[in-house]
Amino acid sequence: MSAGAETQSVSKAFVSVVTALGDDELIIGHRHSEWTGFAPHIEEDVAFSSIAQDEIGHAAAYYSLIARLTEDDADRIALGRSRAEYRHAIVCEMANGDWARTLARHWLYDHADAIRLESLEDSSNKGLAQLVAKIRREERYHLIHADTWISRVAHGPVEGRSKLTHAVTEMFWSAAALFEPFEDEDLAGAEDLLPVTSPKLQERFVAQTTATLDELGMPASVIRTGADETAEFVASSSGDLIASGNDSDSGASAAASGGGRKGRHTSDFESLWDDLTYTYRNNPGATW
Amino acid sequence: MTTMVDNERLAQEIRIALAGVADPEIPAVSVLDMGMIASVTVEDGAAHVVVLPTFTGCPAVPLIRRDVAGATGSVPGVRSVSVETTFDPPWTSDRITSEGKRKLEEFGLAPPSGEGPVLIADIGLPRQARCPFCGSIKTRNENPFGPTPCRALYYCESCRNPFEQFKPV
Repeated sequence: MSAGAETQSVSKAFVSVVTALGDDELIIGHRHSEWTGFAPHIEEDVAFSSIAQDEIGHAAAYYSLIARLTEDDADRIALGRSRAEYRHAIVCEMANGDWARTLARHWLYDHADAIRLESLEDSSNKGLAQLVAKIRREERYHLIHADTWISRVAHGPVEGRSKLTHAVTEMFWSAAALFEPFEDEDLAGAEDLLPVTSPKLQERFVAQTTATLDELGMPASVIRTGADETAEFVASSSGDLIASGNDSDSGASAAASGGGRKGRHTSDFESLWDDLTYTYRNNPGATW
Repeated sequence: MTTMVDNERLAQEIRIALAGVADPEIPAVSVLDMGMIASVTVEDGAAHVVVLPTFTGCPAVPLIRRDVAGATGSVPGVRSVSVETTFDPPWTSDRITSEGKRKLEEFGLAPPSGEGPVLIADIGLPRQARCPFCGSIKTRNENPFGPTPCRALYYCESCRNPFEQFKPV
């Protein structure tokens, strides 16, 4: 990394924040990679494999930033931790489910990531700001891909639109929990490591994504009301999406989907972690 | 004791040697053509080369570092070599030289289109990518992603060949 990064002392807040950034990218990258060979369309097989490679590459760069400053090893940080030591948001670890869920999460995640990266370009940590400037140039392609898909499905036949609407509603607040404050967020803010607080970024995320959903005729109003107003959206005979009003867990609040930044994870992460770290655990010190 | 002139001369010889280091994924193009060499400096026979990775997650970076170090160390007069990678400045596709763009096209890879600095707001699919096989601009993007992080997939309506483009980034 640059000389600027090396001369800065390593703060606890820096390690906490950059670990979480890397973990989000590693875990969602791993989920995307599960489509390799299985996507419903060959071009999407290529696209998700490539996006996965980008995200895992970004994770490696974040971990290298920490490793260089703490004399640690990037592979150790990526693969040598217990489950509870990972700090990604829970939305990243959720099983892929069907294609609608995959697209909904891809769209929500990449918009959240774009909002976060834009703010981090002004970070007081030069090494982090420079890395983020580079990553943003690559992430533009992820946004184009996600936006194209969401728009196409939203304007397409009712079955797909209904599935996508349901998936977005169900995952929205889990994605918003990407802005659950980092550990040591107060310290990081004081050091100007984080130029904009996580709650402030979450407001931007909610405003931006719900505005787009409104434009696409998807139920942003239900999302805005949060946890208490759960409703299932189904297609009416005319093809419009209407609320059927049930007690499913769709529209769960950000609080209910949070905890990832403190190391709380779901059973979905258990099997993911087993796969992800299998080779590393069985061949300590292996190089590849 | 070396002089500034000696340092400058050695740096120039190192640059000549680096012209022989290929991008492992695009062997027709050197790391110099790709604009990946940010600087070469020499001080008392100690060479320092700064490399800009094209893509953050590019798996070829360790190979490139190794090859750059090897070529630099092979220059007579160089006593030690350090290779640094940095994202400052970020590598952008407008760093590819015109010679590099010509070689990319010859290799069968459409060069990133556009002149001048690539602004982040402009990054996206170019409306037109020129077919490296027949030169037609009657082409369409099939996928913003491809077999490596730096490539996108196109189809040429004129000669009916699929082709790849080095993405503007």
